[in-house]
Amino acid sequence: MASLSSGSSRDSKAGFWKKNSSVPGSIKPVYGAQYPPPQSNISISAKQPKKDEKGKNIKHDAFHEFENKTSDAWDDGDDDLIQMANLKLSLKDVHTSAKVVLDNHSKKANSLQKQQEGETANHTIKGLNSPQSQSQSFPHHHHHHGGPGLGVRLNSGGYQPPKMTSIRYVTNAAPDREAARIDKFKAVFAEPSLDLNDLRKLCWSGIPKSVRPTAWKILSGYLPTAADRRQETLERKRKEYFGYIEQYYDTRYQDLHEETFRQIHIDIPRMNPLIPIFQQLIVQEIFERILYIWAIRHPASGYVQGINDLVTPFFVVFLSEYIENDIEVENCDLTELSQETRDLIEADSFWCMSKLLDGIQDNYTFAQPGIQMKVNALRELIKRIDVPLFNHLERQGVEFLQFSFRWMNNLLMREIPLRCTIRLWDTYQSEINGFADFHLYVCAAFLKRFSEESLREHDFQGILMLLQNLPTLHWRDKEISELLAEAYKLKYMFADAPRHLLLKS
Amino acid sequence: MCDPIFEYQFRLILIGDSTVGKSSLLRYFTDGKFDEACDPTVGVDFYARLMEVKPGVRVKLQLWDTAGQERFRSITRSYYRNSVGVMIVYDISKRSSFENLKEWYEEAREHIEPHKAIFVILGHKADNEENRQVTSREGRRFAEMHGLKFFETSAKTGQNVEEAFASIAKDTYQHLQDGHIKIEEGWDGVKAGFSRPKETVQLAEAEGESRCC
Repeated sequence: MASLSSGSSRDSKAGFWKKNSSVPGSIKPVYGAQYPPPQSNISISAKQPKKDEKGKNIKHDAFHEFENKTSDAWDDGDDDLIQMANLKLSLKDVHTSAKVVLDNHSKKANSLQKQQEGETANHTIKGLNSPQSQSQSFPHHHHHHGGPGLGVRLNSGGYQPPKMTSIRYVTNAAPDREAARIDKFKAVFAEPSLDLNDLRKLCWSGIPKSVRPTAWKILSGYLPTAADRRQETLERKRKEYFGYIEQYYDTRYQDLHEETFRQIHIDIPRMNPLIPIFQQLIVQEIFERILYIWAIRHPASGYVQGINDLVTPFFVVFLSEYIENDIEVENCDLTELSQETRDLIEADSFWCMSKLLDGIQDNYTFAQPGIQMKVNALRELIKRIDVPLFNHLERQGVEFLQFSFRWMNNLLMREIPLRCTIRLWDTYQSEINGFADFHLYVCAAFLKRFSEESLREHDFQGILMLLQNLPTLHWRDKEISELLAEAYKLKYMFADAPRHLLLKS
Repeated sequence: MCDPIFEYQFRLILIGDSTVGKSSLLRYFTDGKFDEACDPTVGVDFYARLMEVKPGVRVKLQLWDTAGQERFRSITRSYYRNSVGVMIVYDISKRSSFENLKEWYEEAREHIEPHKAIFVILGHKADNEENRQVTSREGRRFAEMHGLKFFETSAKTGQNVEEAFASIAKDTYQHLQDGHIKIEEGWDGVKAGFSRPKETVQLAEAEGESRCC
């Protein structure tokens, strides 16, 4: 680890950070398999059979089995959805179509199942084969907690073994299909002038890991659609970013900016306390530079807590470009990469984060109007799509702001594991204004998904504790795909609703 | 699920500069745990715990943990109205967080009116003696000047954590007994709880809560 003046005191803290902790809104650990820490595995596996007994035929390695069965349903099927977009549909049509699509996928998946059983040995994806990641597929991280508010309800009935529906799992056991899909991406990238809509359609249902960095850079608008201009653009933008660093970074101790930098400098070491890579000083410094430069170039919002989280997915995805396939991204030692490589990752992360924030800057300006509006819109949506839940929340005096503020401010990043955020962002970046408009529908689908659990809580306290500690630690692409399908449906149900009605404040 | 029996429910709010340790304090109080680092609170988080205010009398404390960063003030402000207790927290190892006490105090008072609330001042991270920038005397003097109680607390050692919450709970209870604070329709600062099953408090509360728009 590179040493700076404050390095030693930070290092001594690193031990504490790795402790299991769960608080409302703590970032859920997770890209690959390091979490949970090995020492907690014993108690986890001891607990697991209990869960397994509930599911009918779920064996000890239920996740693996599940993973094999849930094959690439969206791969072909996403075209159905995209075509739907071109039609004006009545509500009923939407429901019917959605059902047909899902049914089709089920059939396909079933027929694929046998074929795939022989292929399971071929998993090549990082982390998925390790024992840790298997144990990750069940909610367990809260089992040591007894206090209120800290996920005590996680094991008390909300969880059901995953249904074997046929939603595609991006990094899974169908190498041929996966390879074909990757080729499809590469062909699109290679087109002299790429059609952004084609790419969006392709990416909406999830991007294979190996092509994700490039896909994200293009989708976000960082890289141009013209293939022959990309390399030149990359070089220019990277130079531009480091020009900013040279020009502005020394201002961080000046009166005007001191407070901004101080806050960033405090926040960075304490984010993602459970993921080893973020304990590295060299990584923390990258985050500090990215955030500081962004903040002083956007004085209307400046640095607001929550923005720091938004760097993480870009950083992790762009880093994955440069590391060996068998190393967990979250355990990667950045000092082993060259300075030049680290600089590339840093500059790319900066620009893509900037593009993202361009679309949601009103979330972070004075009085956070973007968030206030979205929280109101969420309330209006739930009022229309889930009346029992809406009435329950009203009756118990639960206000939407109380639980969904963070959903908007941190784009659900504190509610779901990092791997799920990354998958979610494949789709957000494939939608126009995905991080603003489509996110709203995703939040509505997210809340609706926990409708039953919420209704089971009989008072204000129970509901709020549940909603700020939702049991998503075991979530994978399947859950996100289901969420997205529901959000997509909502989007089409309400696309014609007058915007002023939905978004009135 | 069976609800523990409690006489009243009090809503309290914790305020103070970013990183003074509000979340750690609440986590220690409700869960007995201390973490060296945690993600910054955005908006407001909710915690709860039962506490005895005198032998045989329990109250439920519902606690709002607020984000300290300036940008979140417009959100956190809306939580003052329904609070009967306010804990203003500063970090004894950070002078500026002490200097901002007055501003926090004034903001809270302004937004709580016309309701009454009990305030306490907490000098937190009291274990961090070697980096102390605010003396106990200064902290106490600020509190006394405004007629408030004062504690130096630590979520690392547990020092005074229980005492501080007990103090604000007992004072609120006493004010309620004395009639200085009353249960009011449409105000969530204090509510009647569930006591003996024969009473109909539960029903009354359920009705009181249904706020129609």
